Amino acid sequence: MFKFILPHSLRQAGILGMNYRNYEIIGKNNPRHLYPLVDDKVQTKQLAAQAGINTPALIGVIDAQFKVKNFLSLVKGRKEFVIKPAHGSGGKGVLVIKKFTQNYFRTASERVLTYNQVYQHISNILSGLYSLGGRNDVALFEEMVHFSTNFNQYSYRGIPDVRVIVYKGYPALAMMRLATQESGGRANLHQGAVGVGLDIRTGQAIAAVQHNQSVFQHPDTHVDLTKLQVPLWKEHLLIAAKGYEMSGLGYLGADIVLDQFRGPMMLELNARPGLAIQIANKKGLYHRLKEIDTFPKNLTPTERVDFVLAQSKDKN
Amino acid sequence: MLKKLKSVRFYLTLALIISFLFAAFSIYYKIRYWGFALEPKELTNVWAIETHITFKPTGDPIKVSIARPNADNTFKILDEDVVAPNKYMVQFEKERVILTNTAQQKEQDIYYRVLVYDNKKGKGKVYAPKPEVPSPPIFDEQSQLIARQLILEAAKLEGNPVQQLIKLFAQEPPNETVMAFMPKRKSAKNTATIIKDILSFQEIPARLAWGVKLSEDKKSFSADVMLEAYLKNKWEVYNIETAEKGIPKNFIIFQHGGESLVDVEGGENSVTKFSVIKSISTSFNMASHRAKLLGDKNWFDYSIYSLPIAQQTALKWLMIFPLAILVVVIARNMIGIKTMGTFTPMLIAMALVQTGFLPGLICFALIIGIGFAIRLLLSKLNLLLVPRISAVVIFVILIMQFFAIVGYQWHLDIASSALFFPIIIMAWIIERASIIWEEEGIKNAMKEVFFSVVVAILTYFVIVNPYIRYIMFAFNELNLVILCLVMLLGTYTGYRLTELLRFAPLSKDKTDV
Ligand SMILES: Nc1ncnc2c1ncn2[C@@H]1O[C@H](COP(=O)(O)OP(=O)(O)O)[C@@H](O)[C@H]1O
Ligand SMILES: [Mg+2]
Repeated sequence: MFKFILPHSLRQAGILGMNYRNYEIIGKNNPRHLYPLVDDKVQTKQLAAQAGINTPALIGVIDAQFKVKNFLSLVKGRKEFVIKPAHGSGGKGVLVIKKFTQNYFRTASERVLTYNQVYQHISNILSGLYSLGGRNDVALFEEMVHFSTNFNQYSYRGIPDVRVIVYKGYPALAMMRLATQESGGRANLHQGAVGVGLDIRTGQAIAAVQHNQSVFQHPDTHVDLTKLQVPLWKEHLLIAAKGYEMSGLGYLGADIVLDQFRGPMMLELNARPGLAIQIANKKGLYHRLKEIDTFPKNLTPTERVDFVLAQSKDKN
Repeated sequence: MLKKLKSVRFYLTLALIISFLFAAFSIYYKIRYWGFALEPKELTNVWAIETHITFKPTGDPIKVSIARPNADNTFKILDEDVVAPNKYMVQFEKERVILTNTAQQKEQDIYYRVLVYDNKKGKGKVYAPKPEVPSPPIFDEQSQLIARQLILEAAKLEGNPVQQLIKLFAQEPPNETVMAFMPKRKSAKNTATIIKDILSFQEIPARLAWGVKLSEDKKSFSADVMLEAYLKNKWEVYNIETAEKGIPKNFIIFQHGGESLVDVEGGENSVTKFSVIKSISTSFNMASHRAKLLGDKNWFDYSIYSLPIAQQTALKWLMIFPLAILVVVIARNMIGIKTMGTFTPMLIAMALVQTGFLPGLICFALIIGIGFAIRLLLSKLNLLLVPRISAVVIFVILIMQFFAIVGYQWHLDIASSALFFPIIIMAWIIERASIIWEEEGIKNAMKEVFFSVVVAILTYFVIVNPYIRYIMFAFNELNLVILCLVMLLGTYTGYRLTELLRFAPLSKDKTDV
C-alpha cells in the first residue's frame, strides 16, 4: 500500500524538499546569471579546461544548418566520437558513435545509422529538438569516453556516471547511476535507472534504489550492488569540488564518468540537481548542508576534499 | 541569509494581513452602503409610488405642499421627481415638496413620483428624539369627564394604554361613551385624532402618521392613517383599527405628525390618489443609485460596476482568473502535482466552463487522442521542430473545424464545443505528450496528461461555481488578498504533499495509509 510519512519525520530525517531546495538552496546560492555557463556544454568545457578539470576533448561545433553537410570532415581520422546538443538535458539527443565509415555509423547501443540519419540528427539538434525550451542550438562533437571496464557488470548498455552534489565547494552527497534495460540504457533515475548511494569518504556503495525501492542486485546483470566501489574516488571528489570555482554555483551537481585511460572526467555540471540522490543514499541532504555551512571558507578545492575526507573519518 | 528570508516573509505576511483587512472593510462597505448582496441572485423590491393631485384653482396664487416619504430605515428613496404643468416652481425640502405657481384657471394635475426600495438590513432601528410632554388638549368640562370615563373603561381592556384606547374605540357595537365623544362623521382620521387627544390628556405624546401600504400594482387609493405614540422611550406605530403595534409589512410612512399629506393653497376640491407599482432589481442595479445617495458617486464611477454591461461580463470572467491561478499554485507547489506547462490546466478549465463539463472532457479527449495519433505519424517523417509543431497546430485546427461541422450537422453539442479549446495549448499538450512518450515511455506521458487534467478539473469546479464567481466579481478586492497569498506561497519552503510519499522510504516511522 501507499506509504506516507508525516512532514515531521521527514524533517527529522533531514530530507530536503523541492520548495526548500528551490527557495533556500538554489535561490540563495546560485545566481541566475551563472546558469548559462552550465546549461551550455560548450562553455562548460571551456571553463573546465581553464579550471584544470578533465573533460572529453572538444572535437568541434556545428552551429549552422549549412555546415551540417561537412560533419564528416570534422571527425576525419577518428575512430569514434560523440554528438550532443550543447543545451541538452537528460541525455536527450546524445549520439555516441563508436565505429563509423563514410556511410554507416554504429552507436554504443549497437544501433546502425546511415549517413542521412546522422545528418538528420545533427540538423534536429540545431533546430532545438532536444534543447531546453526548444530554442535553436548547436551540435557539439567531443571525444568518446572509453568507459572503464571496472563497471561493465554494473550497467546495462549505457555508461554509469557518478553524481556528486557540491555545496559551497564541499562534496556533500554522491551516487552512481546505473542504466538498466528499463531505463533504455540511460542513467536517469525516473526512467528506471538504478541509483547507488556512495559513501562520500570512500566511494563505496551504501544503498541502492530503483523506482524508490531498495534493490541489492542490478535488475539486468544481477551483479551485487553492495560491493560496488568507485576507483580513484579522491580524484572524483576533486573534480566535483573544482566545479565550484569553475562555475561559481554554490549548489551544483557534477556528473563524472571514469575513462579507462584518462581517469575521471567531468561530463557536465547541473545548477538544479534533483533530490533523488537522497533516496539512493537513504539519507537526507539537509543536515549535511547545515554541517557544511560551518566548514571553513576560502579553502582550495584540494583542501576542501581533504577536509571532507578527514572530517568524515572522524565521524565514522 | 535567514534574516533576509524572514523579512521577506514578514513583509509579505504584513501585506497579506493589510490586504485582508482592506478587503474586509471594503466588503463590509459594499454590503452596508452599496447594498451588495452575498448571494448572486438576491433581489430587492423597488416600489414606484405615485401621488396624483388634482384640484381646481381658486384664482389665487397656488402653493402645493406634498409630503415626501419618510426616508427611515425600512425604506430608502432611490429617486423622485415631480411632473407638473409648466411654470411650477419646484422645491424639495426636507420633509415636503413645495410647488408654487401664479394663479391658474384650468384644473391642475400634479404628479409626484418616488422610487423606494426595501432596506432589509436597516430594519428595526428607529431614530427617536424624545418629544416634549404634549400640551393637553383644550377640553370643556364635559369632555374632560367623558375623557376620564373613557380612560377608565379602556383600562379594563388588554394591552398598553394606547392599545386599550384603540380597542375601546373599535368596539362593535360601538361603546356608548365613545359614541358621545365622537363627531358625527366617523373616519379613521377622526378616530385617530380623538385618540391622540385623549392620550395627550394622559400626557402620552402621540401624533398621526400618514402612509401607504405597498402592494403590487395598486391604483388610485388614498393614504392610510396610523397612530403613533411615544411610550417607553420610543415612537411606535399603531394600527387604528386592530391596535396592532409596529409598522405593518411594506408600509411606508410619508409623514409623521400634524399636517396633512397634501396641502393646496389657491385651489379647492383637491383630490389626492396614490398608485404603487412594484419592480424587482438585483442588488447590482441598485448599487449605483445607492452610491449616489451616499455621495459616493465618484467612487462608484471608478469601480468596475459602472462599466458597460459587455465589459462587466468580460471582467466577471477575468476576476475569476486569480483564484484559478491560486488553485494551480497550490496544486503545484504545495501538493506537488506535476502538470504540463504552468497554466495549461487553468486554460483547459476555462474551456470546460464554456463547453460544459462532460461534453468538454469528451471533446478534449477526442482532440488530444486524434491529434496524438497524427503526431505519431508525423514523427516518422522526422520533421524539424518548428515545422513539426506548426503542423500539429494546423492539424488541431482542422480537427476542431471537423468537429464543429459534424457537431452542427448531427446536433452534437459535444462536437461543437471543440471550438472553445485554446488551439495552441492543445497543440502543445499533444507535442509534449508525444515527446515524453518517445523519451520516457507511454506511462510517463499518460501520467503527465492525466495529472494536468486532474488539476484542470479541480480548477474547473472552483471557477464554475456561480456563487464563487459572483463573490469574486462583487468583491473583487479579494483578488488583492489572493495576490498576496500567491506571493507568500512563493516563500513556502515546506514539503509538498507528494514528497511525503516520495521520500517515505527514508523515514523509520512510516504510517501505512
Ligand atoms: N563523451 C562521451 N562518451 C561517451 N558517452 C557519453 C559522452 N557524453 C555523454 N555520454 C553519454 O550520454 C549521457 C548524457 O550525456 P550528458 O553530457 O550528461 O548530457 P545531458 O545533459 O543530456 O545529461 C551520459 O550519461 C553518457 O552516458
Ligand atoms: Mg547528464
